Amino acid sequence: MRRREFWLLVTPSVIVMFGFMLVPLYRTVRWSFEKVEYGTPGTSVGLANYTGALTDPRLGRAVLFTLGLTVVVTAFCLVFGYILASLVNQLRRARPLVLGLLLVPYVLPHVVGGVAFSWLFDTNFGGIFNYVVNGITGGALGDPLWFTDAWPNRVIVALNVVWYMLPFAMLMILAGLQGVSTETLEAAEIDGASPLQRHLYVIVPSIRGVLGFVLLIFTMDVLRVFDSLIPLSPQAVTLGNESIMLYIYNVAFREGAVNLGLGSAISVLTIVLILVLLYPSIRNLVREARAA
Amino acid sequence: MRLKSPTRRSARLLAVGLLATSLALTACGAGSRTGAATATKVACDFTNPAQPTTVNVLAYNSSAVDPYSNTMVSSCTHDNVTVKHDPIDFAGQVQKTTATLGGDSGTYDIIETYSFVVPDYASRNKLVALDDLFAKHQATYKLDAIDKSLRDAMSYNGKLYGLPMQTQVLTMVYRKDLFAKNNLTPPTTFAELRDDAKKLQDSGDMKYPIALPWSASADISTAYKATLNSLGKNFVADDGKTPNFTTPESTKAFEEMKSLLPYMDPQVTTFDQPKVQQQLYNGSAAIGIMFSGRMNDLVQQKNTKLYDQFAFAAPPSVEKGGKQYGALSVDGWSIPFNTKVDQDLLFQVIAASVSEDASKASIPAAFPARTGLDQSASPYAAAAEAAIKGAPPAEAKPWVPPITSATTDIIGSVILGKTSVADGTQQMQAAAEKVLAGS
Repeated sequence: MRRREFWLLVTPSVIVMFGFMLVPLYRTVRWSFEKVEYGTPGTSVGLANYTGALTDPRLGRAVLFTLGLTVVVTAFCLVFGYILASLVNQLRRARPLVLGLLLVPYVLPHVVGGVAFSWLFDTNFGGIFNYVVNGITGGALGDPLWFTDAWPNRVIVALNVVWYMLPFAMLMILAGLQGVSTETLEAAEIDGASPLQRHLYVIVPSIRGVLGFVLLIFTMDVLRVFDSLIPLSPQAVTLGNESIMLYIYNVAFREGAVNLGLGSAISVLTIVLILVLLYPSIRNLVREARAA
Repeated sequence: MRLKSPTRRSARLLAVGLLATSLALTACGAGSRTGAATATKVACDFTNPAQPTTVNVLAYNSSAVDPYSNTMVSSCTHDNVTVKHDPIDFAGQVQKTTATLGGDSGTYDIIETYSFVVPDYASRNKLVALDDLFAKHQATYKLDAIDKSLRDAMSYNGKLYGLPMQTQVLTMVYRKDLFAKNNLTPPTTFAELRDDAKKLQDSGDMKYPIALPWSASADISTAYKATLNSLGKNFVADDGKTPNFTTPESTKAFEEMKSLLPYMDPQVTTFDQPKVQQQLYNGSAAIGIMFSGRMNDLVQQKNTKLYDQFAFAAPPSVEKGGKQYGALSVDGWSIPFNTKVDQDLLFQVIAASVSEDASKASIPAAFPARTGLDQSASPYAAAAEAAIKGAPPAEAKPWVPPITSATTDIIGSVILGKTSVADGTQQMQAAAEKVLAGS
């Protein structure tokens, strides 16, 4: 490829990345050192926004909640995504239909899915989950306060995130499974490996790269969870179920002060946190890419 | 292991199907952005501008506001003028208002405002004073029939910043069938409200008879303010410097609010007004107190089979002899300071939308700001009128919105029992002092 063609092809991407990524990033970093109101130039406040963010106990609670949610959801989706992908991989004619159905939660806007999901637990709108579980268990579930008790609320938030993220994990892992060599699997079977052993010692190591990629995407996505909490956790702040993104939104936009400077400082801290958490995954991916 | 070709074909078909369905679903929404096509047509006789002019309107969608915004679009889109109004919810309106008023040029030319926010925006010169335009067009649009007290509620420092369209006032709704069955009368005090609720509970008719919009992230502050105002206190003392949150009335307000909790759904702190409506629709509650704009929905047969069992009254006072547990909100139209459209044209557009014919057509969905209209078709008008008369005077000060924002989560925490009343009131006092110091 000649230099001119290269730049012709690359320039649009560079412009888009500059406009939609670097400029907002620059503004965010700049605002994080300023007191900012809509439509007016910011005034420098030094590190005051960072001091304010780091001394606010809400940030600590938000980070703890978000990290906990990320760990639980990611672990669950990796395990069950793998199981689901293995099952779907066995299908032949029905696979497109099953895949299509499984992908519905993933393509649905999260806030719409969140509202519909909340109705499952809201007695005002039928509360079918309580009804069905109590019907099956003879009332063992009782009437949990899904929206006002911290832990039941965490459960439904986590279930909702799993609901819309699991299809993505399943799809990625399914793609990985289709790249596993059938010869290797047959050899393992001839050598007497049980189905579980074939999964643990042949398939999983073969798709380690895909699993690493899923882990990477999940870490980024679940750390940025926001819209599900609007319908599912109306008392997120009081319950300690405020995610980092919801906290930023509340500080920067919702609460009376509209404190874009403080919100930007928290955003910068979040970027640092995400980079720290992603470092092992990125390092592994780079290593594997180099080895390939 | 590659996908076999029939599978690939099916996958492609599935993708095409999903795409087609998405397009079909989104197409359903296109062209029906507002109900303007079915709105009342009124005279909107502005001088035709020389150039094509688009007037962008920001107004949230509700059954009480829609008649006015729809009339504005349908009646004032003619000649060189196009009035545009896109659907949006209340939270979206709040955010877009902040954004559009932020800089020297905004996105909107007419914005829906309400008495709660007008002093704040007006004190920061974000809205155009309408007095001269009001005087100029008063006779044409019969603007003097708009209630003077409501115009005052949309004024700041003696200047008019919003042309009132309708009033929203906290109004009580109750189930007349259950009240008759249990020989109950509409409560006039919180003590009577508790008594009525207990009798309904004891009769087995209702587990949680009271439903109030006490969402801990928003509505709870309106409820607390209504309780505090009923006890005779505002957020801030008359000196404009001292918050009233550590007064005995503030403590009493929390105690009175908490005294209602045994009669409400344990998750009431997640209830906004639509959820309270839903409780009443479902027959899960017998008494509700909401803004009057929500009341007409309750008597619609399409919404609930209990549509003919609701009656309305003014809300009770917290203590006997006190003001009502009330809040009066006036909705109206304002012109943002940064609009580039001719202000005379904009005023005529908003004046047409609150004209006599438009206001008549908004009944019973809304309680119009105009006086002298026949409201006999409105099932809740008499209750709303009584509620307006008995409501505590509004605290029309610029510090009310920021103090509300700064204290809402604390109020929620106190009501949920996570913070004691003593600690909560101290925290609210400190938060309000910080707001006042910065204003």
